[in-house]
Amino acid sequence: MNSHDVAVSVYLLFAIAALVLQALSLRQDSKIPSLGTVFSRVMRTRSGRVGVMAGWVWLGLHFFAR
Amino acid sequence: MNDPTAGSRGRASIGAAVGAVARNTTTALRDIVVVILILAGTFDGLSGNWPHAVLLYTVAIALGRDAVRRRASPELGTPTAGQVPPTASAVEAGEAVEAVEAVRRQARRLVAVPMLLLAILAYAVVVGGFARYSWPTTIAVIIPGAVVLALSWNGPLKPREAPAAVGTVGTVAWLAVFIGIGLWELTQLLLQPSLTTDSWRHPTISVLSDPILATHPGRTIGLILWLLFGWFLLDR
Repeated sequence: MNSHDVAVSVYLLFAIAALVLQALSLRQDSKIPSLGTVFSRVMRTRSGRVGVMAGWVWLGLHFFAR
Repeated sequence: MNDPTAGSRGRASIGAAVGAVARNTTTALRDIVVVILILAGTFDGLSGNWPHAVLLYTVAIALGRDAVRRRASPELGTPTAGQVPPTASAVEAGEAVEAVEAVRRQARRLVAVPMLLLAILAYAVVVGGFARYSWPTTIAVIIPGAVVLALSWNGPLKPREAPAAVGTVGTVAWLAVFIGIGLWELTQLLLQPSLTTDSWRHPTISVLSDPILATHPGRTIGLILWLLFGWFLLDR
């Protein structure tokens, strides 16, 4: 296993962890909120909302634009 | 005739102006989002990504000005437009009216959602055909980005209940994932030969996505995912 494989494996682990948390959030009386709830909570103020949306625009610029 | 008090008046007004600028800057920087945007914009600018830096600085300045305006007019309060606290309003307003409105909303969604999905698909196919990192793509990303940012300024698009509080366990769990992936990405970035030289041995997420986004179908799928994520966020 080379360093590339290790790097990709760790990214995958974090992705799986996010999926597990999302799945756990679906249980009744779960202490884990869904990703949607987390974003709703962060975006309840103007600065949180606009800041998150700016992050989304930045993602588009980063991956596709100059 | 020279006014002997003119010099001291001038110094006083300069001092007042400097004091006001300092107070306003402090007010703006109390918002952690403004600080994050300025830091991100600075590092993006230093890396030569000036369109990114302009975006981040513009949003930081807009939020900073808003914070100063709200400090000057406390009656404006914390802007959480569109969010209403959970109440038994359905009962108070009349369940029949609420039911009719729910059916109308459902009917509107039945029309609007497929139209929006079709628009997203058309946009992604067309813009995905442009070369990556080109000006046409940049403009095509900035336009929906600016529209969405403007839409998000006044709160959710439709009134919704205030979100439930997130407990300590949930906060720690999600923060661990977000911070963990951010730190791992940063580690790979710093292990590259230089900040601007990609490394196969230490790939960032951008490097891993390069082979996919190098093709028209790959860019189309990427743009669809980006737009759907934006829709998900705008719906919060």
